[in-house]
Amino acid sequence: MLLGRGILASEKRKIIMLIIALSISALMVFLFFSIINVGNIFVSNMATIKIDILQLILMSLMQASLSTILSLGAGIAIAWSLNRLDFFGKNLVVSLFATAIVAPSMVVAFGLISVWGRAGWIAQLFEFFNWEWQFSIFGLGGILFAHTILNGAFAAHILLARIDAIPARKLKTAQSLALTPFKRFILLDWAAISGALPALGSIIFLLAFTSFPIVLMLGGGVANQTLEVAIYSAVRLSFDLDLAVRLSIIQLVLCMVIILPAIISNSYLANAGVNYHYKWRQKGLAQFAQISILFVAILAFALPLLAILVDGIAGGILDTLSRPSFWQASLTSIIIGSLSAVLTLFLAVLIATGRAAFSNGILKAILGLPIFAYLVIPAVVLSLGFYLFVKNIGISPTKAAPFVLIIANSLLALPFSIAILAPAIETINQRYNKLTRSLNLSSLMRWRMVEYPLIGREIGIVLALAFCFSLGDLGIISLFGTSEFNTLPYAMYQSLGTYRNNDAAVIAAFMLILCLVVFWFLPMIFRKLSNARN
Amino acid sequence: MLEIKNIEYSYKKEKQTYRYDFSLKAGEIIVISGVSGAGKSTLLDIIAGFLTANSGEIILDQVKLTNLAPEHRPISILFQDENLFEHLSVEKNLALAFSKAIIDKEKIAIALKNVGLVGYEKRWAKSLSGGQKQRVALARTLLRNTPILLLDEPFNALDKKTVKDMRLLVKNLVKQYKWHTIIVSHNIEDAAELNAKNYVMKNGILKKT
Repeated sequence: MLLGRGILASEKRKIIMLIIALSISALMVFLFFSIINVGNIFVSNMATIKIDILQLILMSLMQASLSTILSLGAGIAIAWSLNRLDFFGKNLVVSLFATAIVAPSMVVAFGLISVWGRAGWIAQLFEFFNWEWQFSIFGLGGILFAHTILNGAFAAHILLARIDAIPARKLKTAQSLALTPFKRFILLDWAAISGALPALGSIIFLLAFTSFPIVLMLGGGVANQTLEVAIYSAVRLSFDLDLAVRLSIIQLVLCMVIILPAIISNSYLANAGVNYHYKWRQKGLAQFAQISILFVAILAFALPLLAILVDGIAGGILDTLSRPSFWQASLTSIIIGSLSAVLTLFLAVLIATGRAAFSNGILKAILGLPIFAYLVIPAVVLSLGFYLFVKNIGISPTKAAPFVLIIANSLLALPFSIAILAPAIETINQRYNKLTRSLNLSSLMRWRMVEYPLIGREIGIVLALAFCFSLGDLGIISLFGTSEFNTLPYAMYQSLGTYRNNDAAVIAAFMLILCLVVFWFLPMIFRKLSNARN
Repeated sequence: MLEIKNIEYSYKKEKQTYRYDFSLKAGEIIVISGVSGAGKSTLLDIIAGFLTANSGEIILDQVKLTNLAPEHRPISILFQDENLFEHLSVEKNLALAFSKAIIDKEKIAIALKNVGLVGYEKRWAKSLSGGQKQRVALARTLLRNTPILLLDEPFNALDKKTVKDMRLLVKNLVKQYKWHTIIVSHNIEDAAELNAKNYVMKNGILKKT
């Protein structure tokens, strides 16, 4: 009887989880058909399209391919160096690279312009020595540079976790066999990271393929435009909904094709989870290479962030802070970010616990559908889907905007949040499922006493990640933003559009500080809170 | 003669100091037992160079090993698992014993014959059983033929019959190649079966029983 209650609670939980996963998937499908429906209406107008779609696709694919190759190369080199070297402040450097995933890309792009632009720090340094600065941060080079810095740091963080997880015994065996640095890399490191590369490569490719703010700010014209930016331009600049829909469908199909290898290869990004207690340092040329790589990487990643802070403080901070519009945008961003973070956590916990509880492969797959939603439906396309949907049902996009932003930003953060929570919840389920069921713990009790105390840190990371994703979003707000309803990224973009660079600098610095504070402190607070309960 | 002279070691944030002082001749086996966390594996890590002792010396035939890096010590070490690279074939795992890139197939075949695995060259390491993996690791030790062999609970994950076979194999190889062999084990039968000297770690001190 007692056991029966436990099973009932467990079954109820599973049904609720399935309903939520199906609802999210249904919403995605519905938005997709909203787009297709409009597309069909305009099919006859194909001849009127004045844009070279083939060129657009080729440009998007080439840019994303190069970004992926460069990012993976940089990520592997940085992870290799970080694993081998031990120095004061290493944890800070690792944390710095971890922020790559949450640092708003438009802020980073702005920082890159501050450092590498025509009037940037490097140009000023050159001028000081009477040298000529010829490098342009705008164009394909600038896009690749920004993507490599952001995605390379993200890749380094993921790959470092896997290299750090190589069992100490294996390292000791290799060291006693006196493997050369190259053999060590091939036999140990490559074996550890190669399994993650298809999934990581696919995600980086999609991030680059669907990159919006970076291409918008650094693209330097139509020649380097991607599908994502072209969709935005079609809706907001040329008011050509027909073209936007057509491009969205192409974008969706291409994204689906790209994500397939990651699903089929069944590779995963989660940490291997083995603790690493043994360090094997290398000397000579290998160590010199590691120090050089890390020095360049830190410089490339930290300089733009530093430039944002310096420019923000120096750029008439008081003037910007005295404007009510700045505080209104900040408040909107923080409220939407907070609500979006809570919704993301709720959905991620439900889906992750559901996947851990189901042994049936099909049901597991159904629960996994929302995970791939964002990877297939990029922000601007999702935004367009919502835009068409609310218009179709007669609601003003301005009125629906806050709700759309909360839901859409939450959906965008969901795959990353589940990737963080799922391994921890899976482990808890394997260890304690039988015990909690035999103790007849209710779902709430199980959450309070078993799950929450053990995943406190992960909860903090998910909340921080979702908040930062929402805070930095330009893709969704770009279609819903107005002068009455705007967020910090939208306000920053408007400032740049009207050449109020000082305002943009202050907003960028404020967003960066907010992201860093939230990303560093929320996980710490939640870990402490859950430990206290534990 | 392998001499472990007045070695002392303590982990950071731990009050306990571990002390080791003993010697063994070529072809001799020592089995060290003791409860978990007593400091048995710590000794192997110090001899192999993975840990640096606070004080004391490790001397092999009057040559000091104490300050050598692990990769430069004439030592082979085997753990209860993770001795092989599972994504490589048996042959490639064995080839790691050679410092040159050329694979000496004849030597590999002889080593495999010595451990009872004739014709296993092309098999994937991951397809082998626990006992077979340990035999391949022993074959690599044969190819390296270092004078010191350290075994960290090598028979733990094996069934009874395999343990018996492995003990016999180790005993014969040590006798044939005159290795200085130190085995850490929980199993009290090991010392008797291997004709080994029995030592125990208790209260941080290694004592002969």
